[in-house]
Amino acid sequence: MLFSVLIYANEDFMDAITPEEHADIMKHHRAFHEHTKGAKTFAAATKLMSTGTAVTINKESDDYLVTDGPFAETKEQFMGFYMIDCPSLEEAIDTVKLLPLEHGRVEIRPVEYFEGADFKNAERLVIDAS
Amino acid sequence: MPSAWLSTHLRAARPRVLAALHRAFADLDLAEDAFQEASLKALKSWNPDDLPRDPAAWLIVAGRNAGIDLFRKKRRETLSAPEDLDPIVDEADTEEALTEALDRSVYRDDILRLLFTCCHPVLRRDQQIALSLKIVAGLSVDEIARAFLVQPKAMEQRITRAKKRLSAAKLRYEEPDAKARAERFSAVANAIYLVFNEGYSASHGSQLIRTPLCLEAIRLARIMVRLFPEEPELRGLLALCLIQHSRHRARVNTSGEAVTLEFQDRSKWERRLIAEGNVLLEAALRSAAPGPFQIEAAIAATHTRAAIYDDTDWTELDRLYRALEIIRPSPVVSLNRAVVIAKLKGPEEALQLLEKLAVPLERYASYHAATAALLADLEQYPKARAAYEAAIRHAGTDVERQHIQSKLDALAH
Repeated sequence: MLFSVLIYANEDFMDAITPEEHADIMKHHRAFHEHTKGAKTFAAATKLMSTGTAVTINKESDDYLVTDGPFAETKEQFMGFYMIDCPSLEEAIDTVKLLPLEHGRVEIRPVEYFEGADFKNAERLVIDAS
Repeated sequence: MPSAWLSTHLRAARPRVLAALHRAFADLDLAEDAFQEASLKALKSWNPDDLPRDPAAWLIVAGRNAGIDLFRKKRRETLSAPEDLDPIVDEADTEEALTEALDRSVYRDDILRLLFTCCHPVLRRDQQIALSLKIVAGLSVDEIARAFLVQPKAMEQRITRAKKRLSAAKLRYEEPDAKARAERFSAVANAIYLVFNEGYSASHGSQLIRTPLCLEAIRLARIMVRLFPEEPELRGLLALCLIQHSRHRARVNTSGEAVTLEFQDRSKWERRLIAEGNVLLEAALRSAAPGPFQIEAAIAATHTRAAIYDDTDWTELDRLYRALEIIRPSPVVSLNRAVVIAKLKGPEEALQLLEKLAVPLERYASYHAATAALLADLEQYPKARAAYEAAIRHAGTDVERQHIQSKLDALAH
Protein backbone atom coordinates (compact mmCIF):
# COMPACT_ATOMS: atom_id res chain seq x y z
CA MET A 1 0.00 0.00 0.00
CA LEU A 2 1.09 3.56 -0.68
CA PHE A 3 1.52 5.66 2.46
CA SER A 4 2.05 9.39 2.69
CA VAL A 5 4.35 10.56 5.46
CA LEU A 6 3.31 14.10 6.35
CA ILE A 7 5.85 16.22 8.18
CA TYR A 8 4.90 19.14 10.43
CA ALA A 9 7.31 21.44 12.24
CA ASN A 10 7.54 24.91 13.73
CA GLU A 11 8.99 27.23 11.10
CA ASP A 12 10.37 29.70 13.65
CA PHE A 13 12.33 26.78 15.05
CA MET A 14 13.48 25.50 11.67
CA ASP A 15 14.69 29.01 10.79
CA ALA A 16 16.70 29.20 14.00
CA ILE A 17 18.59 25.91 13.76
CA THR A 18 22.36 26.01 13.51
CA PRO A 19 24.27 24.54 10.53
CA GLU A 20 25.28 21.58 12.73
CA GLU A 21 21.67 20.90 13.69
CA HIS A 22 20.68 21.18 10.05
CA ALA A 23 23.35 18.64 9.15
CA ASP A 24 22.01 16.32 11.83
CA ILE A 25 18.47 16.57 10.46
CA MET A 26 19.68 15.94 6.92
CA LYS A 27 21.59 12.88 8.12
CA HIS A 28 18.28 11.34 9.17
CA HIS A 29 16.62 12.25 5.89
CA ARG A 30 19.51 10.75 3.95
CA ALA A 31 19.17 7.55 5.97
CA PHE A 32 15.45 7.53 5.13
CA HIS A 33 16.23 7.99 1.43
CA GLU A 34 18.89 5.30 1.42
CA HIS A 35 16.72 2.83 3.26
CA THR A 36 13.60 3.32 1.17
CA LYS A 37 15.48 3.39 -2.11
CA GLY A 38 17.40 0.27 -1.12
CA ALA A 39 14.21 -1.51 -0.08
CA LYS A 40 12.44 -0.19 -3.21
CA THR A 41 9.73 1.38 -1.07
CA PHE A 42 10.58 4.97 -2.04
CA ALA A 43 7.89 6.66 -4.12
CA ALA A 44 8.23 10.45 -3.77
CA ALA A 45 9.79 13.23 -1.69
CA THR A 46 8.51 16.80 -1.47
CA LYS A 47 9.83 19.69 0.59
CA LEU A 48 7.58 22.75 0.63
CA MET A 49 8.81 26.35 0.68
CA SER A 50 8.11 28.50 3.73
CA THR A 51 4.44 29.34 4.40
CA GLY A 52 5.48 32.94 3.71
CA THR A 53 5.30 32.05 0.01
CA ALA A 54 1.76 30.67 0.25
CA VAL A 55 -1.44 32.11 -1.18
CA THR A 56 -4.90 30.71 -0.52
CA ILE A 57 -7.62 30.68 -3.12
CA ASN A 58 -11.34 30.79 -2.34
CA LYS A 59 -14.43 31.03 -4.44
CA GLU A 60 -17.15 33.41 -3.35
CA SER A 61 -20.19 33.12 -5.56
CA ASP A 62 -18.57 33.61 -8.97
CA ASP A 63 -15.45 35.42 -7.82
CA TYR A 64 -12.10 33.91 -7.08
CA LEU A 65 -10.47 35.44 -4.07
CA VAL A 66 -6.73 34.98 -3.65
CA THR A 67 -5.52 35.87 -0.16
CA ASP A 68 -1.91 36.03 0.97
CA GLY A 69 -0.62 33.48 3.42
CA PRO A 70 -1.41 29.87 4.25
CA PHE A 71 -4.92 28.51 4.75
CA ALA A 72 -4.47 27.91 8.48
CA GLU A 73 -2.30 29.62 11.05
CA THR A 74 -0.91 26.97 13.32
CA LYS A 75 2.07 26.62 15.57
CA GLU A 76 3.36 23.77 13.46
CA GLN A 77 3.26 24.06 9.73
CA PHE A 78 3.09 21.45 7.02
CA MET A 79 6.66 21.24 5.72
CA GLY A 80 6.55 18.46 3.16
CA PHE A 81 5.89 14.80 2.66
CA TYR A 82 7.27 11.50 1.53
CA MET A 83 5.40 8.71 -0.19
CA ILE A 84 6.48 5.18 0.52
CA ASP A 85 5.17 1.95 -0.91
CA CYS A 86 5.14 -0.53 1.97
CA PRO A 87 3.41 -3.89 2.37
CA SER A 88 1.99 -2.96 5.76
CA LEU A 89 1.34 -0.06 8.10
CA GLU A 90 3.76 -1.70 10.50
CA GLU A 91 6.59 -1.45 8.01
CA ALA A 92 5.64 2.14 7.20
CA ILE A 93 5.85 2.98 10.91
CA ASP A 94 9.23 1.28 11.20
CA THR A 95 10.52 3.20 8.19
CA VAL A 96 9.33 6.52 9.54
CA LYS A 97 11.33 5.93 12.72
CA LEU A 98 14.40 6.84 10.61
CA LEU A 99 13.19 10.44 10.32
CA PRO A 100 14.21 13.16 12.80
CA LEU A 101 11.06 12.86 14.90
CA GLU A 102 12.24 15.11 17.75
CA HIS A 103 11.55 18.35 15.92
CA GLY A 104 7.93 18.18 14.97
CA ARG A 105 5.18 15.74 14.20
CA VAL A 106 4.94 13.14 11.51
CA GLU A 107 1.63 11.73 10.39
CA ILE A 108 1.24 8.58 8.30
CA ARG A 109 -1.79 8.61 6.03
CA PRO A 110 -2.51 5.81 3.56
CA VAL A 111 -2.92 7.01 -0.01
CA GLU A 112 -6.12 6.24 -1.85
CA TYR A 113 -5.01 7.43 -5.28
CA PHE A 114 -1.73 8.71 -6.66
CA GLU A 115 -0.43 9.59 -10.08
CA GLY A 116 2.98 11.01 -10.91
CA ALA A 117 3.78 13.87 -13.24
CA ASP A 118 6.57 15.32 -15.32
CA PHE A 119 7.81 18.68 -14.13
CA LYS A 120 8.70 21.53 -16.42
CA ASN A 121 9.17 24.34 -13.93
CA ALA A 122 10.25 22.69 -10.72
CA GLU A 123 13.68 22.93 -9.19
CA ARG A 124 15.13 19.51 -8.57
CA LEU A 125 15.30 18.74 -4.87
CA VAL A 126 18.83 17.84 -3.88
CA ILE A 127 18.94 16.01 -0.60
CA ASP A 128 22.63 16.78 -0.15
CA ALA A 129 22.26 20.55 -0.51
CA SER A 130 23.70 22.31 2.49
CA MET B 1 18.24 15.39 22.04
CA PRO B 2 21.42 17.32 22.82
CA SER B 3 20.95 20.40 24.98
CA ALA B 4 22.06 22.55 22.04
CA TRP B 5 18.54 22.08 20.69
CA LEU B 6 17.16 23.81 23.76
CA SER B 7 19.12 26.94 23.01
CA THR B 8 17.81 26.82 19.46
CA HIS B 9 14.27 26.66 20.84
CA LEU B 10 15.04 29.70 22.96
CA ARG B 11 16.47 31.55 19.97
CA ALA B 12 13.46 30.63 17.83
CA ALA B 13 10.96 31.76 20.48
CA ARG B 14 12.82 34.93 21.38
CA PRO B 15 11.18 37.46 19.02
CA ARG B 16 7.67 36.45 20.05
CA VAL B 17 8.44 36.19 23.74
CA LEU B 18 10.34 39.46 23.95
CA ALA B 19 7.57 41.19 22.02
CA ALA B 20 4.98 40.01 24.56
CA LEU B 21 7.22 40.93 27.51
CA HIS B 22 7.92 44.32 26.00
CA ARG B 23 4.21 44.94 25.79
CA ALA B 24 3.72 43.84 29.41
CA PHE B 25 6.56 45.93 30.86
CA ALA B 26 7.07 48.71 28.28
CA ASP B 27 10.77 48.52 29.12
CA LEU B 28 13.38 46.87 26.93
CA ASP B 29 15.86 46.17 29.73
CA LEU B 30 13.25 44.62 31.98
CA ALA B 31 11.89 42.54 29.08
CA GLU B 32 15.40 41.30 28.25
CA ASP B 33 16.17 40.44 31.88
CA ALA B 34 12.84 38.67 32.24
CA PHE B 35 13.54 36.65 29.08
CA GLN B 36 16.94 35.75 30.45
CA GLU B 37 15.40 34.51 33.71
CA ALA B 38 12.75 32.55 31.83
CA SER B 39 15.42 30.97 29.64
CA LEU B 40 17.42 29.85 32.66
CA LYS B 41 14.28 28.34 34.13
CA ALA B 42 13.57 26.57 30.85
CA LEU B 43 17.09 25.14 30.64
CA LYS B 44 16.66 23.76 34.15
CA SER B 45 13.17 22.36 33.85
CA TRP B 46 12.57 21.42 30.21
CA ASN B 47 12.86 17.77 29.45
CA PRO B 48 14.45 17.47 26.01
CA ASP B 49 12.16 14.55 25.17
CA ASP B 50 9.02 16.28 26.28
CA LEU B 51 9.13 19.98 25.51
CA PRO B 52 6.17 22.24 26.26
CA ARG B 53 3.75 22.13 23.35
CA ASP B 54 4.38 25.79 22.67
CA PRO B 55 7.77 26.84 24.05
CA ALA B 56 7.04 30.52 23.30
CA ALA B 57 3.85 30.50 25.42
CA TRP B 58 5.71 28.76 28.26
CA LEU B 59 8.47 31.36 28.13
CA ILE B 60 6.00 34.26 28.09
CA VAL B 61 4.36 33.00 31.29
CA ALA B 62 7.70 32.38 32.98
CA GLY B 63 9.08 35.69 31.72
CA ARG B 64 6.08 37.66 32.95
CA ASN B 65 6.45 36.25 36.43
CA ALA B 66 10.21 36.72 36.44
CA GLY B 67 9.76 40.28 35.20
CA ILE B 68 7.34 41.10 37.99
CA ASP B 69 9.82 39.76 40.56
CA LEU B 70 12.61 41.83 39.03
CA PHE B 71 10.38 44.87 38.92
CA ARG B 72 9.48 44.45 42.59
CA LYS B 73 13.09 44.01 43.59
CA LYS B 74 14.03 47.19 41.77
CA ARG B 75 11.24 49.27 43.26
CA ARG B 76 10.88 47.56 46.62
CA GLU B 77 11.51 50.69 48.66
CA THR B 78 9.42 53.14 46.74
CA LEU B 79 6.74 51.42 44.76
CA SER B 80 4.82 48.23 44.65
CA ALA B 81 4.05 46.50 41.38
CA PRO B 82 1.02 47.78 39.55
CA GLU B 83 -2.04 45.64 40.06
CA ASP B 84 -2.21 44.46 36.49
CA LEU B 85 1.20 42.88 36.92
CA ASP B 86 0.07 40.29 39.45
CA PRO B 87 1.96 37.08 39.00
CA ILE B 88 0.22 34.31 37.18
CA VAL B 89 -0.28 31.50 39.66
CA ASP B 90 -1.59 28.52 37.79
CA GLU B 91 1.00 28.24 35.05
CA ALA B 92 -0.49 25.22 33.29
CA ASP B 93 -3.88 26.87 32.80
CA THR B 94 -2.45 30.15 31.70
CA GLU B 95 -0.08 28.52 29.28
CA GLU B 96 -3.04 26.94 27.57
CA ALA B 97 -4.92 30.23 27.50
CA LEU B 98 -1.86 31.98 26.14
CA THR B 99 -1.39 29.29 23.52
CA GLU B 100 -4.91 29.98 22.34
CA ALA B 101 -4.29 33.71 22.38
CA LEU B 102 -1.11 33.27 20.38
CA ASP B 103 -3.01 31.20 17.87
CA ARG B 104 -5.42 34.04 17.46
CA SER B 105 -2.46 36.13 16.42
CA VAL B 106 -2.69 38.86 19.04
CA TYR B 107 1.09 38.75 19.15
CA ARG B 108 1.48 40.17 15.67
CA ASP B 109 1.24 43.76 16.71
CA ASP B 110 3.57 43.06 19.64
CA ILE B 111 6.31 41.97 17.27
CA LEU B 112 5.73 44.88 14.95
CA ARG B 113 5.89 47.22 17.92
CA LEU B 114 9.07 45.65 19.30
CA LEU B 115 10.85 45.81 15.97
CA PHE B 116 9.63 49.33 15.37
CA THR B 117 11.02 50.33 18.78
CA CYS B 118 14.40 48.83 17.88
CA CYS B 119 14.56 50.76 14.62
CA HIS B 120 12.75 53.88 15.76
CA PRO B 121 13.54 57.00 13.71
CA VAL B 122 15.06 58.68 16.80
CA LEU B 123 17.91 56.15 16.55
CA ARG B 124 20.91 56.34 14.25
CA ARG B 125 21.20 53.60 11.64
CA ASP B 126 24.05 51.80 13.38
CA GLN B 127 22.01 51.88 16.59
CA GLN B 128 18.99 50.45 14.79
CA ILE B 129 21.03 47.55 13.44
CA ALA B 130 22.68 46.86 16.79
CA LEU B 131 19.41 46.95 18.74
CA SER B 132 17.52 44.77 16.24
CA LEU B 133 20.27 42.16 16.37
CA LYS B 134 20.59 42.30 20.14
CA ILE B 135 16.95 42.47 21.20
CA VAL B 136 15.03 40.68 18.47
CA ALA B 137 17.53 38.25 16.96
CA GLY B 138 19.18 37.65 20.33
CA LEU B 139 22.80 37.94 19.25
CA SER B 140 25.21 38.57 22.09
CA VAL B 141 27.06 41.87 22.36
CA ASP B 142 30.28 39.99 21.53
CA GLU B 143 28.76 38.52 18.38
CA ILE B 144 27.49 41.89 17.19
CA ALA B 145 30.79 43.55 18.04
CA ARG B 146 32.62 40.89 16.03
CA ALA B 147 30.31 41.41 13.07
CA PHE B 148 31.05 45.14 13.10
CA LEU B 149 34.73 44.75 13.97
CA VAL B 150 34.51 46.91 17.06
CA GLN B 151 35.45 46.16 20.64
CA PRO B 152 32.66 44.55 22.69
CA LYS B 153 32.87 47.48 25.08
CA ALA B 154 32.22 49.96 22.29
CA MET B 155 29.25 47.91 21.08
CA GLU B 156 27.91 47.70 24.62
CA GLN B 157 28.06 51.49 24.81
CA ARG B 158 26.35 51.86 21.44
CA ILE B 159 23.47 49.68 22.65
CA THR B 160 23.24 51.43 26.02
CA ARG B 161 23.14 54.84 24.34
CA ALA B 162 20.47 53.63 21.94
CA LYS B 163 18.32 52.44 24.84
CA LYS B 164 18.85 55.76 26.64
CA ARG B 165 17.81 57.64 23.55
CA LEU B 166 14.65 55.54 23.37
CA SER B 167 13.78 56.20 27.03
CA ALA B 168 14.44 59.91 26.55
CA ALA B 169 12.11 59.95 23.57
CA LYS B 170 9.29 58.65 25.81
CA LEU B 171 7.71 56.66 23.00
CA ARG B 172 4.00 56.18 23.21
CA TYR B 173 2.37 53.20 21.67
CA GLU B 174 -1.12 54.08 20.66
CA GLU B 175 -2.80 51.71 18.27
CA PRO B 176 -1.41 52.89 14.96
CA ASP B 177 -3.78 54.07 12.26
CA ALA B 178 -3.28 52.83 8.71
CA LYS B 179 -0.73 55.51 7.89
CA ALA B 180 1.28 54.98 11.07
CA ARG B 181 1.19 51.23 10.50
CA ALA B 182 2.55 51.67 7.00
CA GLU B 183 5.35 53.84 8.42
CA ARG B 184 6.20 51.16 10.95
CA PHE B 185 6.36 48.49 8.28
CA SER B 186 8.56 50.69 6.19
CA ALA B 187 10.93 51.45 9.09
CA VAL B 188 11.12 47.77 10.05
CA ALA B 189 11.76 46.64 6.48
CA ASN B 190 14.48 49.26 6.12
CA ALA B 191 16.17 48.17 9.34
CA ILE B 192 16.13 44.50 8.34
CA TYR B 193 17.63 45.47 5.00
CA LEU B 194 20.33 47.49 6.77
CA VAL B 195 21.28 44.34 8.67
CA PHE B 196 21.28 42.31 5.45
CA ASN B 197 23.29 44.88 3.56
CA GLU B 198 25.87 45.15 6.30
CA GLY B 199 26.42 41.43 5.76
CA TYR B 200 26.07 41.47 1.97
CA SER B 201 28.60 44.23 1.36
CA ALA B 202 30.40 44.83 4.58
CA SER B 203 31.16 48.53 4.85
CA HIS B 204 34.61 47.99 6.27
CA GLY B 205 37.13 45.32 7.24
CA SER B 206 38.85 42.50 5.41
CA GLN B 207 35.86 40.38 4.34
CA LEU B 208 33.36 41.23 1.64
CA ILE B 209 30.47 39.12 2.94
CA ARG B 210 29.49 38.42 6.53
CA THR B 211 27.12 35.53 6.13
CA PRO B 212 25.79 35.45 9.72
CA LEU B 213 24.36 38.96 9.32
CA CYS B 214 22.72 38.01 6.01
CA LEU B 215 21.19 34.93 7.59
CA GLU B 216 19.89 36.84 10.63
CA ALA B 217 18.28 39.42 8.35
CA ILE B 218 16.66 36.66 6.31
CA ARG B 219 15.38 35.02 9.50
CA LEU B 220 13.84 38.31 10.69
CA ALA B 221 12.33 38.95 7.27
CA ARG B 222 10.84 35.44 7.24
CA ILE B 223 9.24 36.00 10.64
CA MET B 224 7.71 39.26 9.43
CA VAL B 225 6.45 37.74 6.17
CA ARG B 226 4.81 34.88 8.04
CA LEU B 227 3.10 37.30 10.41
CA PHE B 228 2.11 39.80 7.74
CA PRO B 229 1.83 37.94 4.42
CA GLU B 230 -0.48 40.65 3.12
CA GLU B 231 2.28 43.30 3.22
CA PRO B 232 3.82 43.18 -0.27
CA GLU B 233 6.89 45.20 0.72
CA LEU B 234 7.83 42.64 3.36
CA ARG B 235 7.63 39.89 0.76
CA GLY B 236 9.61 42.13 -1.59
CA LEU B 237 12.25 42.60 1.11
CA LEU B 238 12.54 38.85 1.72
CA ALA B 239 12.65 38.17 -2.03
CA LEU B 240 15.43 40.73 -2.43
CA CYS B 241 17.48 39.28 0.45
CA LEU B 242 17.07 35.70 -0.81
CA ILE B 243 18.02 36.51 -4.39
CA GLN B 244 21.03 38.61 -3.37
CA HIS B 245 22.14 35.94 -0.92
CA SER B 246 21.75 33.20 -3.56
CA ARG B 247 24.92 34.51 -5.20
CA HIS B 248 27.10 34.50 -2.10
CA ARG B 249 29.25 31.56 -3.20
CA ALA B 250 29.91 33.13 -6.58
CA ARG B 251 30.69 36.63 -5.32
CA VAL B 252 34.06 35.79 -3.80
CA ASN B 253 36.67 33.57 -5.45
CA THR B 254 38.87 31.02 -3.71
CA SER B 255 41.49 33.66 -2.90
CA GLY B 256 38.85 35.85 -1.25
CA GLU B 257 38.65 38.39 -4.07
CA ALA B 258 35.37 39.97 -5.13
CA VAL B 259 33.85 38.69 -8.37
CA THR B 260 31.40 41.04 -10.08
CA LEU B 261 28.14 39.87 -11.63
CA GLU B 262 29.71 39.83 -15.07
CA PHE B 263 32.34 37.25 -14.15
CA GLN B 264 30.44 35.12 -11.65
CA ASP B 265 30.09 31.39 -12.19
CA ARG B 266 26.31 31.30 -12.40
CA SER B 267 26.21 27.58 -11.68
CA LYS B 268 27.23 28.52 -8.12
CA TRP B 269 24.08 30.57 -7.63
CA GLU B 270 21.67 28.81 -5.27
CA ARG B 271 18.66 28.08 -7.43
CA ARG B 272 16.56 27.12 -4.39
CA LEU B 273 16.82 30.65 -2.97
CA ILE B 274 16.25 32.23 -6.37
CA ALA B 275 13.10 30.15 -6.88
CA GLU B 276 11.74 31.17 -3.49
CA GLY B 277 12.63 34.83 -4.10
CA ASN B 278 10.92 34.81 -7.47
CA VAL B 279 7.69 33.30 -6.21
CA LEU B 280 7.61 35.69 -3.23
CA LEU B 281 8.05 38.60 -5.61
CA GLU B 282 5.32 37.35 -7.91
CA ALA B 283 2.96 36.96 -4.94
CA ALA B 284 3.85 40.47 -3.74
CA LEU B 285 3.30 42.07 -7.14
CA ARG B 286 -0.21 40.58 -7.31
CA SER B 287 -1.42 43.16 -4.81
CA ALA B 288 -0.49 45.98 -7.22
CA ALA B 289 1.07 48.09 -4.46
CA PRO B 290 4.62 48.52 -5.72
CA GLY B 291 7.34 49.73 -3.39
CA PRO B 292 11.11 50.07 -3.43
CA PHE B 293 11.83 46.59 -2.10
CA GLN B 294 9.62 44.94 -4.71
CA ILE B 295 11.35 46.91 -7.45
CA GLU B 296 14.80 46.09 -6.12
CA ALA B 297 13.81 42.44 -5.91
CA ALA B 298 12.57 42.63 -9.50
CA ILE B 299 15.96 44.04 -10.53
CA ALA B 300 17.75 41.20 -8.75
CA ALA B 301 15.33 38.69 -10.29
CA THR B 302 15.97 40.08 -13.78
CA HIS B 303 19.65 39.24 -13.39
CA THR B 304 18.82 35.68 -12.33
CA ARG B 305 16.87 35.11 -15.53
CA ALA B 306 19.97 35.59 -17.70
CA ALA B 307 21.83 32.32 -18.23
CA ILE B 308 24.94 34.34 -19.10
CA TYR B 309 25.82 37.98 -18.46
CA ASP B 310 25.44 38.92 -22.14
CA ASP B 311 21.81 37.73 -22.05
CA THR B 312 20.91 40.29 -19.36
CA ASP B 313 17.67 42.13 -20.15
CA TRP B 314 19.04 45.69 -19.95
CA THR B 315 15.82 47.23 -21.27
CA GLU B 316 13.86 45.72 -18.40
CA LEU B 317 16.54 46.87 -15.94
CA ASP B 318 16.35 50.42 -17.32
CA ARG B 319 12.59 50.35 -16.85
CA LEU B 320 12.93 49.13 -13.25
CA TYR B 321 15.65 51.62 -12.31
CA ARG B 322 13.56 54.43 -13.77
CA ALA B 323 10.65 53.29 -11.57
CA LEU B 324 12.98 53.25 -8.58
CA GLU B 325 14.25 56.75 -9.45
CA ILE B 326 10.66 57.95 -9.19
CA ILE B 327 9.54 56.01 -6.13
CA ARG B 328 12.73 56.34 -4.08
CA PRO B 329 15.23 58.58 -5.83
CA SER B 330 18.85 58.42 -4.72
CA PRO B 331 22.21 59.08 -6.38
CA VAL B 332 23.10 55.38 -6.01
CA VAL B 333 19.99 54.36 -7.95
CA SER B 334 20.92 56.85 -10.67
CA LEU B 335 24.46 55.43 -10.71
CA ASN B 336 23.08 51.94 -11.29
CA ARG B 337 20.82 53.22 -14.00
CA ALA B 338 23.77 54.93 -15.70
CA VAL B 339 25.57 51.57 -15.82
CA VAL B 340 22.50 50.08 -17.52
CA ILE B 341 22.37 53.02 -19.96
CA ALA B 342 26.00 52.29 -20.87
CA LYS B 343 24.89 48.82 -22.00
CA LEU B 344 21.89 50.14 -23.92
CA LYS B 345 23.25 53.36 -25.43
CA GLY B 346 26.99 53.35 -24.97
CA PRO B 347 29.53 54.89 -22.58
CA GLU B 348 29.21 58.53 -23.70
CA GLU B 349 25.58 58.80 -22.69
CA ALA B 350 26.25 57.00 -19.41
CA LEU B 351 29.14 59.33 -18.57
CA GLN B 352 26.85 62.32 -19.07
CA LEU B 353 24.50 60.87 -16.44
CA LEU B 354 27.43 60.14 -14.13
CA GLU B 355 28.74 63.71 -14.30
CA LYS B 356 25.56 64.91 -12.61
CA LEU B 357 26.28 62.55 -9.70
CA ALA B 358 29.87 63.65 -9.13
CA VAL B 359 29.09 65.77 -6.09
CA PRO B 360 26.72 63.50 -4.13
CA LEU B 361 28.79 60.38 -4.85
CA GLU B 362 32.22 61.96 -4.48
CA ARG B 363 33.15 59.61 -1.63
CA TYR B 364 31.53 56.50 -3.08
CA ALA B 365 34.03 53.99 -4.47
CA SER B 366 31.59 52.33 -6.86
CA TYR B 367 30.90 55.68 -8.51
CA HIS B 368 34.56 56.20 -9.36
CA ALA B 369 35.01 52.58 -10.43
CA ALA B 370 32.01 52.78 -12.79
CA THR B 371 33.28 56.06 -14.23
CA ALA B 372 36.74 54.54 -14.68
CA ALA B 373 35.39 51.50 -16.53
CA LEU B 374 33.45 53.71 -18.97
CA LEU B 375 36.45 55.99 -19.54
CA ALA B 376 38.55 52.90 -20.25
CA ASP B 377 35.93 51.76 -22.79
CA LEU B 378 36.42 55.14 -24.49
CA GLU B 379 40.20 54.60 -24.31
CA GLN B 380 40.66 57.68 -22.12
CA TYR B 381 43.25 55.88 -20.06
CA PRO B 382 44.80 58.67 -17.97
CA LYS B 383 41.34 59.79 -16.82
CA ALA B 384 40.34 56.18 -16.20
CA ARG B 385 43.45 55.63 -14.09
CA ALA B 386 42.70 58.72 -12.01
CA ALA B 387 39.13 57.52 -11.45
CA TYR B 388 40.31 54.07 -10.34
CA GLU B 389 42.74 55.71 -7.95
CA ALA B 390 39.88 57.74 -6.49
CA ALA B 391 37.88 54.52 -6.15
CA ILE B 392 40.71 52.85 -4.23
CA ARG B 393 40.92 55.83 -1.87
CA HIS B 394 37.24 55.47 -0.98
CA ALA B 395 37.00 51.67 -0.85
CA GLY B 396 35.86 50.41 2.55
CA THR B 397 37.08 46.84 2.57
CA ASP B 398 40.38 45.20 1.60
CA VAL B 399 38.52 42.95 -0.83
CA GLU B 400 37.03 45.95 -2.60
CA ARG B 401 40.41 47.70 -2.70
CA GLN B 402 42.12 44.65 -4.20
CA HIS B 403 39.34 44.29 -6.74
CA ILE B 404 39.71 47.87 -7.96
CA GLN B 405 43.50 47.59 -7.88
CA SER B 406 43.31 44.60 -10.23
CA LYS B 407 41.18 46.65 -12.64
CA LEU B 408 43.72 49.45 -12.47
CA ASP B 409 46.57 47.00 -13.09
CA ALA B 410 44.69 45.62 -16.09
CA LEU B 411 44.78 49.09 -17.69
CA ALA B 412 47.92 48.40 -19.63
CA HIS B 413 48.10 51.94 -20.95
